[in-house]
Amino acid sequence: MTRIVEIPTSFDDRAMDQFAAACGAWPPEHRLLFDARPAQWASPYAFVAMLTAAQAVAEAGGERPILYVPTSDDVRRYWARAGFLRHASELFELHGKVPRAASGTTDTLLEVTPVRGSDDVHQVVGVIQEGASRILGELGLEAKATMGFAMALSEACQNIVEHAGTGGWVAVQAYDWRRRIGTRVVVIAVSDSGIGFRRSLEPTQAKRFGDRWSDATALEAAWIQNVSRFRDPGRGQGLAGIKRYLSRWNGKITIRSGTARLANVPPWDREDVPMTEHLPYFPGAQVQVIVPASAPR
Amino acid sequence: MIQTIRLDHVLREAVTTPYRNLVTRPTGAAVRVRIERAMAESACMTAILDFSEVELLDLSCADEIVAKLLLLSIPRAERYVILGGLSEDQIEAIDHVLSHQRLAVAAMFAGTSALDLLGAADTDAREAFGCVGTCGPLDAAGVADALDWTLERSAAALVTLAAHRLVRVAGLTFCPLLVA
Repeated sequence: MTRIVEIPTSFDDRAMDQFAAACGAWPPEHRLLFDARPAQWASPYAFVAMLTAAQAVAEAGGERPILYVPTSDDVRRYWARAGFLRHASELFELHGKVPRAASGTTDTLLEVTPVRGSDDVHQVVGVIQEGASRILGELGLEAKATMGFAMALSEACQNIVEHAGTGGWVAVQAYDWRRRIGTRVVVIAVSDSGIGFRRSLEPTQAKRFGDRWSDATALEAAWIQNVSRFRDPGRGQGLAGIKRYLSRWNGKITIRSGTARLANVPPWDREDVPMTEHLPYFPGAQVQVIVPASAPR
Repeated sequence: MIQTIRLDHVLREAVTTPYRNLVTRPTGAAVRVRIERAMAESACMTAILDFSEVELLDLSCADEIVAKLLLLSIPRAERYVILGGLSEDQIEAIDHVLSHQRLAVAAMFAGTSALDLLGAADTDAREAFGCVGTCGPLDAAGVADALDWTLERSAAALVTLAAHRLVRVAGLTFCPLLVA
């Protein structure tokens, strides 16, 4: 038996719940077939989410999922340039014409990169630091913002290393969102197939919350109270640092874990809500950070 | 005698790859162990940790290096630590982690040799620190005179500074940390 997962034609964080619902129960009972043939566009968030799904299947001992690559030449070339197809080839059985990866596009600041340990975090931060002048030049991001951006990226990646109990993925991309919010943005997408916030914090926090303990309260505890699964009082500061950076630069973060999604909602994004519960389950945790290049309208 | 420990050198030794960024907890822990070792091998009472050639310092690494050094190692070793060559971003990261843990450290910002305080020092402690730094060794009465404070207020501020090892104590006199 095979379960067909239709990849949203335009796949970004807003289509994540549709993707999670299509994947069905975890671990999947049947082999998954990801049909991306009609796909027109995918964000870094989509790339790391698809890799996370395949990784979660592998870690659950499931059969290697099938991925039908996009029919459009342009789309699959973009998927290759973003580094997605290279990593996908290790986790999926790829069907369709797979282009050879070319050099990165002008908008790709960090192609899809695995994060498994501390060295990977160094590598990722190094790549972004090298590209700092490019970020400044192309996006008009203030010089002071780039160092904080690298710090936020580092802390987001470290959440995987420190808490997920398995590896994950990161990608960074620049976009023109002039039509949407009147400026360009830089987007960090991080995802892992690990234990998620609820299981990570359960041993130290669940008792305090009693019956209210859930994916949502776990996210709130981590984001609002800066709690960590470690008893070391210095822990839990990574998300606090990201929060401080985002408040200074008018950025946005969303964290999805299990069946809940938390967002800090900046004034330029009034459509989003701080907490959404009872979402279709998806393994691990998915983090997206959006930093506008200049003050959005 | 002052010992200067260049963090960029320690980082290179600790991770054996040419990183210029102090990021991640394992890296911070490895760097801290080397700092502790270097301090233990030195007869100097004061160590300046020189951050000037380090590009990025994230919060996790700041916590592992600076906060844990102040919390675990310095009280045992009876040494004084000063941070040097700090950029604005590094100051913010260190100030954040130290404030969170109610710790404080003396620091020189990039391009200056003047000492300032980072972390959880209240206004009185900061003023008393500045007073001792400007006037030189003083007792509580001297600080009270200089700042027009009561003796109790001055003594309380100096005790706070001494507890954080932000001044050297010689009998009843409180001396500024030496940077050269």
